Amino acid sequence: MGALMWIEVISHHGDVATRHAIEREEARIGRAFDNDIVVDDAHVAPHHLRIYRGEDGELVAEDLQTLNGLYPEHGAHRVARLSLAREPGFRIGRTTLRVRDARHPVAPEKLLTPPRKHAQWAGLLGGILLVMLLALQWLNLTTQPSASAIFLPLLGFVTALAVWTLFWAILSRIFFGQAQFALMLRIAVTACIALVLWDQLTETASFSLAWREARDYSGLGAWALLGAACYGHLHAIGPRHMRAAMTLVVVLVIAGAAVQYFGRSETRRIIGQRASLGELRPPAFRAVPLATADQFFAKAENAKARVDLARTKEPSSGLFGDMDPFD
Amino acid sequence: MTSRFALLLATALVAGLVLAQPQQPEAEPAAPAAPMSSAAERVYELARPRILQIRTLLQAAGRQTTIGSGFLATADGFAITNYHVVSQFALDPRTYRLEYLAPDGARGPLQLLAIDVPHDLAVVKIDRADLPYFTFDTRALGGRLPKGERIYAMGNPLDLGFTIVEGTYNGLVDKSYDERIHFSGAINPGMSGGPVAGNDGRVVGINVAKSLGGESVGFLVPAKFAATLIERARKGPPLVIDKAREEVGRQLDQWQAGFFDALRTQGFRNTLLGPYRGLESAAPWMSCWANTNADQVQKPRASMSGTRCSSATGIFVSDRILTGRIDFSYSYFKSQDLNAFQFARELSQRARGSAADGDKRLTEQECRDDFVTTAANRPPLRATWCMRAYREFEGLYNVTLMALTQDRDREALLGQLTMQGVSHANAVSLGRRFLEAIEWAR
Repeated sequence: MGALMWIEVISHHGDVATRHAIEREEARIGRAFDNDIVVDDAHVAPHHLRIYRGEDGELVAEDLQTLNGLYPEHGAHRVARLSLAREPGFRIGRTTLRVRDARHPVAPEKLLTPPRKHAQWAGLLGGILLVMLLALQWLNLTTQPSASAIFLPLLGFVTALAVWTLFWAILSRIFFGQAQFALMLRIAVTACIALVLWDQLTETASFSLAWREARDYSGLGAWALLGAACYGHLHAIGPRHMRAAMTLVVVLVIAGAAVQYFGRSETRRIIGQRASLGELRPPAFRAVPLATADQFFAKAENAKARVDLARTKEPSSGLFGDMDPFD
Repeated sequence: MTSRFALLLATALVAGLVLAQPQQPEAEPAAPAAPMSSAAERVYELARPRILQIRTLLQAAGRQTTIGSGFLATADGFAITNYHVVSQFALDPRTYRLEYLAPDGARGPLQLLAIDVPHDLAVVKIDRADLPYFTFDTRALGGRLPKGERIYAMGNPLDLGFTIVEGTYNGLVDKSYDERIHFSGAINPGMSGGPVAGNDGRVVGINVAKSLGGESVGFLVPAKFAATLIERARKGPPLVIDKAREEVGRQLDQWQAGFFDALRTQGFRNTLLGPYRGLESAAPWMSCWANTNADQVQKPRASMSGTRCSSATGIFVSDRILTGRIDFSYSYFKSQDLNAFQFARELSQRARGSAADGDKRLTEQECRDDFVTTAANRPPLRATWCMRAYREFEGLYNVTLMALTQDRDREALLGQLTMQGVSHANAVSLGRRFLEAIEWAR
């Protein structure tokens, strides 16, 4: 006769420490050695719990009138009896256990992407990224071309990418058990491609559409992409504390975006503001119809309304107080 | 080019910024005194009882923050000084007060009666009426003083004591919208507001500024503006000190209205750069220079040649606000071996306005971009309008208008019009003219 249910003892880290097959319809759990499952926990009674099959055929846990009682795994209220059909976990004393019916369905088999495949992808995407960066470096080169002008920034970039990937690989080694370097590299390189594309897209949009805000606020999109990259890395490490980790990432990304945004206005306030045409592209990149002078000066009117409004408000004091470029 | 500009900008700067720092005389070995002409001795004796030191005192500390000079000009105790000598008090009468110090050691409070910000003059009144006073030179009032005439600047340089400086009258400065006398003699901080008199002790001008770039190049306000301001102080309603800020704003607004009218009256001319033409002012007070990047050590990959015309003088409003400058600048770029992308990149780096200061007396900058066409037979433009408002003076703005031709991808004309302390209507009117003037020359 095969197992009718499985009882899992959960470690304090949240994974399954031991798993016991029960070949009867009823199981007893406690500190005494005549139980089916013996729990070494001073806060567990010698005979703490009884698992049995209820009238509807589902498994039920029943507290045997103990001092510390029975709690659902994520619940705060003590219960005398707990149906395990929907929520298989419960706590007794300081120990968490889960009971699985032998009929409990499991998720279908996941396809394993072999590390070699990740490495291939990382290599391919890395190549694409490198070509993109070289091309951009070349297109942005306005001084006399030299190897150092093109390759030095690239070298710095590659180093930063390696450090970033290594950081996640080490985290993965600690929490997941494997470094998954190829996968981490693949995620990092993908994120870099997205960042470069986003940067170029907003820069081009700000020129082509005469839409200055696209450039002013593109940093927020970049931070979101960074957040997405962190999600990818975390997901690869293991989804056990995913919610907590993601909360941390979201907080960090929002904080980073805020620091950058306020830092920008602070820099502008201290070192002053220069009028500029923004980032330019060749004339062929224009995507909006030509405006008449009237339309242009109507826009200027809007700028006037904004500065008129600003002058009625107190200037912000900022982080560094009254610093002045003249002093 | 830049060094020459610094010279002219400095004329306006020195008056306020150098003066704003309390001066400590440095101990130096006494140099043998040059023989003083007897005329100078006579003028000094005559002037001595009529000159004042004007101090701006911090109310709370009762000690001076800036010093300047002044001179009595009427029997009933009206005295002339520079606006920049009393500007702290005028703009913030709760923090500062004014005091005079006569050569006989007497001191007392000063009342601010009238200001003329564009000409940098102020009329103050002392609390006694028993002192002798200066009269104005009628030849100077009528502008008939010959160049080369010996004149004497007086005041209290660096708080060292009352001093007389012999120098030469050199007529009006050529390139200045507001009339300024070019005085060849040493004017120093602390002498601001002091009189400059001829042999007979009659006033021809008032010390106001010196050039930081040259030696013994000083500037004076012509006496006629002082005479007018005294009339105004006597006849007009007295300045309400709590409303002085509004008066400053009103005068700046009036000045810019007059300045832009004069610009229109003086007319405009075309400037030719490569295959393009732009617009610049034909006014005689505009100072124009050319510049290029051809002499760079590393061979530039896009050649640049430019011109820049500025109204050389600025108006001192407060320690932190100099305004009233206008600047037409054009740069023609032509790619040597840059492709269209690289050329656009080069232009992005070059198309930057002059560094605006982060002063909170102006609002944060607001910019608007667009692609603009002014006529079918003119090159399309990429234009940007950036403006900041003066917090303390309603209706006055600093505006920068930039326009880049968009008809070719390896050569372009970049035009930049900078206007300080301008009304929105005047800025738009000149800005429109500026955009519409950019055209093909061939």
